[in-house]
Amino acid sequence: MLQPKKTKFRRQQKGRMKGNAQRGNELSFGSFGIKSLQSKWITGRQIEAARVAVTRHMQRQGQVWVRIFPDKPITKKPAEVRMGKGKGAPEGFVAPVTPGRMIIEIEGVPFELAKEALRLAAQKLPVTTKFVVRRDYDFSTNA
Amino acid sequence: MKTFKLEGKPRIGTGKKAVKALRREGLIPAVLYGSKAVELPYSGNLDEGQNLVENQGKGLIVTNFVVTFDDVRKIIYTPEVYIVELVINGNTHTAILKDLQMHPVTDEILHIDFLSVSHDKPAVIEIPVVLDGFAAGVRAGGKLNLVSRKLKVKGLIEHLPERLHINVENLELGKTIQVKHLNFDNLTLLNAPDNVVCAVAVTRGAIAQAAAADKK
Repeated sequence: MLQPKKTKFRRQQKGRMKGNAQRGNELSFGSFGIKSLQSKWITGRQIEAARVAVTRHMQRQGQVWVRIFPDKPITKKPAEVRMGKGKGAPEGFVAPVTPGRMIIEIEGVPFELAKEALRLAAQKLPVTTKFVVRRDYDFSTNA
Repeated sequence: MKTFKLEGKPRIGTGKKAVKALRREGLIPAVLYGSKAVELPYSGNLDEGQNLVENQGKGLIVTNFVVTFDDVRKIIYTPEVYIVELVINGNTHTAILKDLQMHPVTDEILHIDFLSVSHDKPAVIEIPVVLDGFAAGVRAGGKLNLVSRKLKVKGLIEHLPERLHINVENLELGKTIQVKHLNFDNLTLLNAPDNVVCAVAVTRGAIAQAAAADKK
């Protein structure tokens, strides 16, 4: 599962997610991708589930790029514990995602296969997504 | 290289408010720059939509105009690269598509930059790469990967090809073709010499084949 090797601080503040993705909103590596249409935290587990869904459907063909990284630690208090007494224990890592952010890119598979693989991946994510194709993609040669 | 004829209507309003109003009408704001510098103070006439921009003591004429989505769709959503014959105010300009701004979420076109090019001055443009032939490395079980889909070239527009054809017949398993290995007539490649254009990657199948050959 994706997570940082080490962090400077164990706990972080929540922060706010405003506006659209100003960076990472275009296809940079592959010919196909899915981009987020919502703001949400995506956990490392969800990213891994989406990645596995894509690679399984592509059956070891092509290449996959995960464009987000869960680098934000999330804490949680144990069940049935009263409020106060400090911030909870770190539970995992999330990637804050804003609308327009490219999440997964793929390359080296035909259009139909890519579309289905990314549809399966999108089902594992907590955000609504949009399938995008490189604007200079040649449908006649699948390249 | 293929040419594409595009008609633009000059626009006077610039800035956020004016371009938002244009986009609401379904028009795409665009700009044409790169024409010859003029001496300042400029005594000539400026057409509708033209602005004079001062740069290092010289004046540059910039033309602001609008195009419709249906008109530009063919030069944007295509693997081809075009020389654009731009008609604004009845004047024809030869230009290339320099830059494109798209909305981060909806992917609609927000603005287009055209760069004016002349027949006597070399232009810099990105041209798609096509790999020709059946690589020797692929025959040995490898996988041919096109790493750089486009290469940045400099040359006169008469000499610019539609595509850069690269012969990969002799490319062996695990080998790459870099920019420094390529040479095209009348064109200068501007990418870093060590940039990889294509490579034959070693696959698991190829490793198994090589191991079997060693055993024999």
